[in-house]
Amino acid sequence: MTSDEGIVYDRSLLGVEHPIGSFKVSRDMITGFARSTGETKSIYLGDTDNLDDLVAPPTICNIFVNGVSRPDIKLKFGDMNFFAGQSIECKKDVRPGDTLNASTHLDNVYAKTGRSGKMIFAVWQTTFKNQNGDTVALVNESFVRRNRAK
Amino acid sequence: MFLDLHTHSVASDDSRATVEQYIRWSSVLQNKGYRIDGFVLTEHRQFDHGLDYTDLSSESGLLILKGAELDTDCGHFLVYGVTKPLTDSIDFSDVNIDATKLVELCDDLGAIAIPAHPGRAGIGFAEYVSTRRAGFKTIGVVEGLNGSNRPGEGEKAALLIQQRGYLSTGGSDAHIVSAIGTCMTLFKDKITTEAELVLALRAGNYNPVMLESSKD
Repeated sequence: MTSDEGIVYDRSLLGVEHPIGSFKVSRDMITGFARSTGETKSIYLGDTDNLDDLVAPPTICNIFVNGVSRPDIKLKFGDMNFFAGQSIECKKDVRPGDTLNASTHLDNVYAKTGRSGKMIFAVWQTTFKNQNGDTVALVNESFVRRNRAK
Repeated sequence: MFLDLHTHSVASDDSRATVEQYIRWSSVLQNKGYRIDGFVLTEHRQFDHGLDYTDLSSESGLLILKGAELDTDCGHFLVYGVTKPLTDSIDFSDVNIDATKLVELCDDLGAIAIPAHPGRAGIGFAEYVSTRRAGFKTIGVVEGLNGSNRPGEGEKAALLIQQRGYLSTGGSDAHIVSAIGTCMTLFKDKITTEAELVLALRAGNYNPVMLESSKD
């Protein structure tokens, strides 16, 4: 990945975990999320009476990272911010009754040039662990800062 | 042979395509009667000397080579024939590499640097060569066909090529699987290594082609 030399921001934030909350996962939450995202598999929709059969769709943690408040990295560049994408790495099933504890850290800051000129990307990684301390998902989110077109 | 000289895999931050997926899609194209004999992975701002696609290449029958796409002060450049001395001499992750220095170093170290999508605003060579910079006496090749161009960018590149008499390559600039092969370079000679690719690019026995023209 690109080096961040020359980019001015609060480097003390790199790699430092910030707790963002504890989230109880319910059966209704899972089935509601599955329906809203168009899932058709019964394992996500809870079409059977057996609670043990219900598993959350792999992207369920997206519910919890939306709107999360992160520390200001005090980036000295640009005047426009954009959400630049998300990836979710699923490590373990999430099931009804699980309690997920999440923390986030600034994972990387790098620059690139595109059609609109120089852009700086800040990548935050949020780790979700269940009540047993097992990591169930890693959510990587990128935010880009660039200058407004003149 | 038909080579796509400009592709990005998941190693680039803006691509979600894996090399294996590119191979499968190339096979789909071949089954439909198109010719694609290989591709070059030109990841953004990086080169991994440790990556070896020899086995994948043997299994698939496709030539899979490595290059890089670098951000310079005169737009993006495709670099082929990357060696350890070259990566030791230039920080590939720098987003403002001195283009003149890059071209000269490549010339000296057995590589070749070619302006990518030269007609593109902000990151295309045409803008810089016409308004800000002269020089670049050793540049003889630019990417004339780019599969990710927007309307007008290809025409601008064509004008640059016509005005300066550059040789022209083609590449898809694929960031997604189904884009591979949309533009390619048709070489008259057989190429099997990155060093041979550099020699072929300097020799000039090739022309850029669209996928459609590769059909049997």
